[in-house]
Amino acid sequence: MRKFLPLKVSISGVRGIVGESLTPQLAARFASAFGTYLGQGQVLVGQDSRPSGLMLKKAVIAGLLATGCQPVEVGILPLPTILFLTRKMQARGAVVITASHNPSNWNGLKFISQDGLYLRSSEVEEFLDIFHQGEFTYVPAERIKPALSEKEAGYLHLRRIFSQIKVNEIKKRKFRLVADCANGAGATLLPRFLQELGAEVRFINTELSGKFAHQSEPTPENLKELGHEVRALQADLGLAQDADADRLALVDEQGQPLGEDATLTLSVDHVLSRKKGPIVVNLSSSMVIEDIARKYGVRVYRTKIGESNVVEKMLETRAVVGGEGNGGVIWPAVHPCRDSFTAAGLILEKLSSFPGSISQLMATYPRYYLLKDKFDCPAELAFKVVTELRRRYQRENTSTLDGLKIIWEEAWVHLRPSNTEPIMRIIAEARSPEKARQLLERFKGEIEQILKQMS
Amino acid sequence: MKPLKLSVSGVRGIVGQAITPELVINFASAFGTMVPAGPVLVGRDSRNSSPMLTDGVISALLATGHEVIDLGLCPTPITQFLVKNKKARGAVSVTAGHNPASWNALNFINSQGTYLNEFQGQELLDIYHLGRFKQLALKRAPKIIRELNPEEPYLEWLLGRLHLTPIKRAKFRIIVDPTNGAASKLIDKLFALLGVQLIAINNEGNGYFPHDPEPRPRNAIEVSSLVKITTADVGFLLNSDASRVSLVSEDGETLSEEYTLPLVARYYLKKHPGPVVTNLSTSMMIDQVARGLNLPVIRTKVGQSAIIQAMLEEKASLSGEGSGGLAFDFFQPAFDALVTMALYLEMMAVEGEKLSTLVKRLPRYHIVKDSLVCPAYRLHTLVAEVKKLYKGLEINQLDGLRLEKRDLWVHVRASTTEPLIRVIAESTSQHRAQMEVDRIMAFLRRLTA
Repeated sequence: MRKFLPLKVSISGVRGIVGESLTPQLAARFASAFGTYLGQGQVLVGQDSRPSGLMLKKAVIAGLLATGCQPVEVGILPLPTILFLTRKMQARGAVVITASHNPSNWNGLKFISQDGLYLRSSEVEEFLDIFHQGEFTYVPAERIKPALSEKEAGYLHLRRIFSQIKVNEIKKRKFRLVADCANGAGATLLPRFLQELGAEVRFINTELSGKFAHQSEPTPENLKELGHEVRALQADLGLAQDADADRLALVDEQGQPLGEDATLTLSVDHVLSRKKGPIVVNLSSSMVIEDIARKYGVRVYRTKIGESNVVEKMLETRAVVGGEGNGGVIWPAVHPCRDSFTAAGLILEKLSSFPGSISQLMATYPRYYLLKDKFDCPAELAFKVVTELRRRYQRENTSTLDGLKIIWEEAWVHLRPSNTEPIMRIIAEARSPEKARQLLERFKGEIEQILKQMS
Repeated sequence: MKPLKLSVSGVRGIVGQAITPELVINFASAFGTMVPAGPVLVGRDSRNSSPMLTDGVISALLATGHEVIDLGLCPTPITQFLVKNKKARGAVSVTAGHNPASWNALNFINSQGTYLNEFQGQELLDIYHLGRFKQLALKRAPKIIRELNPEEPYLEWLLGRLHLTPIKRAKFRIIVDPTNGAASKLIDKLFALLGVQLIAINNEGNGYFPHDPEPRPRNAIEVSSLVKITTADVGFLLNSDASRVSLVSEDGETLSEEYTLPLVARYYLKKHPGPVVTNLSTSMMIDQVARGLNLPVIRTKVGQSAIIQAMLEEKASLSGEGSGGLAFDFFQPAFDALVTMALYLEMMAVEGEKLSTLVKRLPRYHIVKDSLVCPAYRLHTLVAEVKKLYKGLEINQLDGLRLEKRDLWVHVRASTTEPLIRVIAESTSQHRAQMEVDRIMAFLRRLTA
């Protein structure tokens, strides 16, 4: 396969490999483009725990200073916390140095608007136009402002969540928990969060060394250590954050991973039990969401993959809850972004109102099996594959909003090129693991055949 | 036209025009690629824009695999001293020295603590122009060490090399204007250690320049009036990174920056005899002093880089320029206004003479300087044109044009720091020098019109 340059510029920002494609020059140019786009004002600069974060932060600050912005360094913080603070501190925007779940040799920049949201697709276009034209509004020396530093702001985020959940109910249950921060940014605030919820917690992987304890995608393999600790401690629940703490995965009291959709399922159900309203989830989230919606008689909107798409639709439909099946829960009552802290708060509140264990609680929902796979596929080939499959399956019930999703009774398959890496993702869900596996294999075979024909 | 000046020792320009974060990162990346892995120092002056440049420099040094020792606000001569003191691979000093506040620059310093010499400078530019910089994957978090009191080892070293007793005994009162630059506050420490009563103005280090940060009589008016009011023994005016200094004598006379080198030379050379290095534009006063001591004067191209390179090659004892930058081999091969001020006090204490008396002992020359703004790409062509005015005369072309006729010399050259042609003439007659400069300026204006 042709060697590709590992740099991706997409709606969620820019990502690349440090030492190859993601250089300080590029970071400074992006920051100057962003400063030009925002106009002069305060811009938060945060980061995850990756070792290259410091280098990129310096370049970003130089880029912002040169365009007359006043950077406010907030240090290593969870992504949802930075999003929340951007609005709370009335900043003009924020730059976050992170590559979320990508391997630790990657890094990237995310750009946040004044309202604490990722730039909308139309805003990204305007911003990228400025970047590509390369005409930045550098200010003369006398209008360069001093950079500021604000290291204690993270607690404001926790306080907001506490104001929205029943802290005392949760405290009464005296939860015993194990929490895995994956050596990511969540480790800066999760101990304090769970402690104030009255839980007895054993923490693992709380170093901010930037060496992620495991691949931070919360797949069953990556939750082994957590499951082991939960069993050893006879804990009620295991919580696992991803590297930038926007997603949360769960392990039940027997140490078994609860499947990626459990976090969203529990959170959506719990929010709706308090307040009815529309739900927004992406195309790849489980069908169980429709089951829950039916229970409360509310409407489900499905969007393209990507947090910003979900958030945009949520704001448009005044949704009460939403998110992504990969553990990203969005509760606008706190802030319209994926937030592992919010998710943990909702789930602990839900569990504190349920008389049984977490696995008994999960058993009250219809069971689906979701399988994922991915393979290397450069963007232009992926596009051709999707076009061909759309042609073949045009008679089925399909959605072409994002790649191709084919929906049957009690099963679906979703194929789409990734926005952040040159790979193609394939996801299938069905009522049995065999059926899901069958679907996955069938489509993988079909794609391989199409690729062979094309080459 | 965005003025940008590349020279062997660094890059200089107006912030927001030529000096952008990307340019800074590219140059610092070239430097980081050139020097072997290891710690690199980064110091800066107090300009508003200096933290921006510093962040860009640090990011590039980290990306090219270096550990960074961040000195914060730090005069260039102290940064140079610390390179050897901390066994660093080199340093970057962020300062535009004497240029106005809208300017800034990166000055690159090698592992010997001196400005890059012409070969190193050429290598840096080659790497910059090629644009292929070293890049590390940064699997382990790179380190930035923040040095909170970088001046301490320097002050200890400096004090160890001075005759402290006479200085302390003299109980001097002095006026110093560090122009709110990198030496602000630090001079309080230095002169307290020397037992000198210091009255400092513009000593905030906030980057607000009350006048252009260039040590020369027109910027020394405040110092002069304070010297008179407080009956101080001497007044000093520094540039923004404390590499240059000009003097005000005890009678309040604002001395041309040309005096800084020859006035102290006799005292220093008697103790440390050796050749003197200066540039082609500097006053002949130094030749008079050296002749008296039977020491040679070697003249080089203008600029700290060329001067220091010659100083090291010729094993010179003293070097300096008419701009007020002096380097003493007994101290360090770097233009150092802090050393220079301390030596002036030592000389005044040991010799027991007033500065105005010492001035009178020097031959009276009249130096006239003028400059013409001109597009960077025409600088050298226009300078060469001036040859037409001096057909038949012997012309030194080491750095622009320099020629001597009877009691007069003339130097016409392209500035290395700004898009300017500088025209300088010196003569025992003010009138003769002025006439010569006017003649050349008129000729150049006709060409540029």
